[in-house]
Amino acid sequence: MSNVQFFLINIWLVFLGLFLTLYVVLDGFDLGIGVLSLFVREDERRGIMMASLSSIWDANESWLVVLGGALFGAFPAVYAIMLNAMYLPVTVMIFALIFRGVAFEFREHSKRRPWNLAFGLGSLIAALCQGFTLGGLIAGPAVHDARFAGSALDWLSPFSVLVALGVVFGYVLLGATYLIVKTEGEAQRHARRTAWIAGALMLAAAAGVSVWTPLIYPFVRQKWFGAGVVSPFLVPPLFALFSSAMLARALHKRYEHAPFLWSVCIFLVSLIGLAASLYPYLVPESISAYAVASDSLTLVFMMLGIGLLIPVMIAYNAYQYVVFRGKVTGPHYG
Amino acid sequence: MANFSVVDLSRLQFAITTLFHILWPVLTIGLSLYLVVTECLWLRTGDVGWYHHCRFWGRLFLLNFGVGVVTGLPLEFEFGTNWAAFSKVAGGFFGNILGFEGAMAFMLEAGFLGIMMFGWQRVPRAMHLLATSMVALGGSISAFWILVANSWMQTPAGGHMVNGHFVIDSYVQAVFNPDMPWGFSHMWVACLETSLFVVGGASAWHLLKGRDIAFFRRSLLLAAALAVIVTPLQIYLGDGSGKSVFKEQPAKGAAIEGHWSTNPPGRPAAWALLAWPDKGAQRNDWQITIPGVLSWLATGSLDGRVVGLHAFPPDDQPPLLPLLFYAFRIMAAIGFALFCLTLWTAWAGLRRKLGADVVAGQKWLLRAWVAAIPLGYVAVDMGWITREVGRQPWVIYGILRTSDAVSNLPAASVGFTTVGYFLIDSLLLVTFVVFAWRTIRKGPDFTLPVPAREPRRLSPEGHRANGGET
Repeated sequence: MSNVQFFLINIWLVFLGLFLTLYVVLDGFDLGIGVLSLFVREDERRGIMMASLSSIWDANESWLVVLGGALFGAFPAVYAIMLNAMYLPVTVMIFALIFRGVAFEFREHSKRRPWNLAFGLGSLIAALCQGFTLGGLIAGPAVHDARFAGSALDWLSPFSVLVALGVVFGYVLLGATYLIVKTEGEAQRHARRTAWIAGALMLAAAAGVSVWTPLIYPFVRQKWFGAGVVSPFLVPPLFALFSSAMLARALHKRYEHAPFLWSVCIFLVSLIGLAASLYPYLVPESISAYAVASDSLTLVFMMLGIGLLIPVMIAYNAYQYVVFRGKVTGPHYG
Repeated sequence: MANFSVVDLSRLQFAITTLFHILWPVLTIGLSLYLVVTECLWLRTGDVGWYHHCRFWGRLFLLNFGVGVVTGLPLEFEFGTNWAAFSKVAGGFFGNILGFEGAMAFMLEAGFLGIMMFGWQRVPRAMHLLATSMVALGGSISAFWILVANSWMQTPAGGHMVNGHFVIDSYVQAVFNPDMPWGFSHMWVACLETSLFVVGGASAWHLLKGRDIAFFRRSLLLAAALAVIVTPLQIYLGDGSGKSVFKEQPAKGAAIEGHWSTNPPGRPAAWALLAWPDKGAQRNDWQITIPGVLSWLATGSLDGRVVGLHAFPPDDQPPLLPLLFYAFRIMAAIGFALFCLTLWTAWAGLRRKLGADVVAGQKWLLRAWVAAIPLGYVAVDMGWITREVGRQPWVIYGILRTSDAVSNLPAASVGFTTVGYFLIDSLLLVTFVVFAWRTIRKGPDFTLPVPAREPRRLSPEGHRANGGET
């Protein structure tokens, strides 16, 4: 492999990591607020929660499309294997995203109740399916001759259930801390209480996943502890613990922005830990990024059409957040 | 045998998700451009009436946009979930192009949609116009890349197969493949045309009811004026696409026209106006033909050679020949019908029958516009059926067979999701039509505040992050 190709592959791994992070954080709080809406009785407050997302949910979800397209172009075999292996969770996730997406607009046109439910349940199911997909990825789909060779329910295991719960709790934490930023008064107090609970549950799930993973997946054990008990792979969990402590402090001191930022930090180090554990494999133990990347011409062309646009995409998305900054006080969308 | 049904189910699923999905982007693309026009008219003339056009049609646009986004999600992932073998072969180019669509178009629309819909009172007028323009630009760029990807499946170019992967040698040739200019322009103009007849038809309905005459006369006239350019252009593009199909995909062209035997040199090929093509018997069960016309339609010359289906082994001929034959004819008939309606309207305009005081009296003309609302949609779906069924049995024309392109899946999984998509998409369509109809019927809301030249300063506490302020 040429140096240029090596460089391009690693650039694209970084970009994919960036898209995944942006998607997980941004649609994460979006889906988390959806899950939380299931536990809200007053329609007024649910309206405020949905209004806090009205101008941005669609852009947040678009990172998933960018991620999908970039993975498809840069590592076609991985896109094919992953989606083939995760057929049911991915398709059910799309069903769920359809329902929650149309709910924003449809509830303005008719009786609210069914679309409120579509929004809440859609968010919950989408988050669960993403968790199952992640769990199934860590488990490593069966691959033969660079094609998926397993069966339809391989992704389902006690381990992936725990991962799915962790993802839901994590998204709820992001959602609750985002609501602390966007709301005031009783709604904000409620969001703060929820953040405590979700944070604790997520931490428990994350700890469980971190202990369980090296126990059942030898490739992770080898990677984490191959160089002795004191390994660089201890850094992400330690930083996650530090972020959790800072999150608790920020919640205790009733800061408005800090809880969200520390929650994002927890996600960030978790994703870095995951990426470091897998690298350079994209499907554990079978498909290395180097073996299946598209050729250099494609990767360069994608740099021009997607890579160079990353700062532009981030800029206009940020601008939209700036235009709609501040507290949400009304429950209406549109 | 089990594999066979996974192919069929996956094809059915893709057909369902595509035929439903495309209904919404058609209006997103066309109506967003229409909204750019009305917003420019407002800013140029200072006429508040145009501002209320932006708001009224914008309401329909927002409802339409959301459904378009979520019904499009499946398509981004179905290539991997259902067509993993295709994705592996073609991903280097095809996935790359879908990535372009996501990064250049999908994100651009989403990134400015919030400002366009809810930002009237928050940003300066010029910034709002920029947001509307970016949403419109995103829609059209999206159509461009999707048609690049699809036309490449029709007429793959710019590379060759190496170890089961399509490797690109020339991006210029792959992007500007022979079908691309026709495929994109025909589809893009279809979006404009469909949208014009939605706007015009909804306006005509209000005029028939005698409501808000000044307002809806304006949108009907604007739609009709634009249709004068768009409807003949679309017929020209359709003709060009057809000739391109006969040149690049002769089996598809012959199948669309139920044309079995190649005409001998110097003898023009007859055109089957109506027929029942029978693949089993390898002939038309019955037909009504017009001598000579097919040579002219397919090649532009009066005795041009048109290769018939007999030149291809049955395994290389498209399936479902009657569907192909009639889908094409319905599409073309609608194209001509909308052109005739435009001529009729222009004629009425020249005879001064569309003035503010008399337009509501043009009952039959207005009824025809109302009836035309669904026609563009029907034509678009028929066109996609023609395009995609005609490409069969290939997924990448001449390179990869559809039967070799599927994922490793049990038929039960694909059956479950296919039924799921059908039920969900049907629910969305019915719900959308009901809500869209209510939105249109309600008419414009003239109480909406007109944005000031500069937005008022908003304190962080005092503003609302949603449209409640409007």
